[in-house]
Amino acid sequence: MKSQQFQIDQKETSDSYVISLGGELDLSVVTQLRSALEPVMERADLNLVLNLRELTYIDSTGIGIIVSILKYRDGINAPFAVKEIPPSIQRLFDLTGISGYLAEGTDK
Amino acid sequence: MIRLQIPSHADYIDIVRVCLYGVASKLSFSYEDIEDMKVAVSEACNNAVLYGRSKEEGGSLIDVSFQPTEAGITIIVKNDGPPFEHRESELASPPLQGIEISELPVGGLGLYLMEALMDEVKVQSGENGTEVILTKYASE
Repeated sequence: MKSQQFQIDQKETSDSYVISLGGELDLSVVTQLRSALEPVMERADLNLVLNLRELTYIDSTGIGIIVSILKYRDGINAPFAVKEIPPSIQRLFDLTGISGYLAEGTDK
Repeated sequence: MIRLQIPSHADYIDIVRVCLYGVASKLSFSYEDIEDMKVAVSEACNNAVLYGRSKEEGGSLIDVSFQPTEAGITIIVKNDGPPFEHRESELASPPLQGIEISELPVGGLGLYLMEALMDEVKVQSGENGTEVILTKYASE
């Protein structure tokens, strides 16, 4: 097993801001992810999308960040979606219960 | 028994996962079981890093031991930090369910995941630190 380096890729389009994550999201990269998110958290005009296609691992601190984005975006009535969740990560989302909230999204 | 010692810092937890992968593969655990154990063991290490002695207090190390048993494997994560709370009774259902989004807890999922992903979880705290003992049975 090779440990895969965490990667963040960001792309802004006319109506959305897509953050694609790759590698292993754990406690060691929490600060890195938080600073990438900071400038876009407030952007209620954009649909914030977290694409997890290339993510190979997530722990409770990573899930905690997703919960905090969800809460923040919901609080300011801004859209947020998590897309292309790999099966191993979906399993943890189901176990913790966060999947129920992700399916609903905050775009109402 | 296989032992590993890492500095108490988040940057080294991936090494514990790589080591676990090696040991568990050799014991013929399934891919799914290994994935489950990777998360549980990392959560135990997260707690050790977050609640262990800080650098200012002399720094600390995390000891991880992998013990193959007849039933499967027991992994012990030990650090010299103070005890943390372990309330098994409250961990029966998924923590993120049936609550308003604004009330969702951001933390505290680590122990829940350990309980959900392993067959046995024990936390032992004493003067010398805290030990999290995780057991996974080999599937038939």
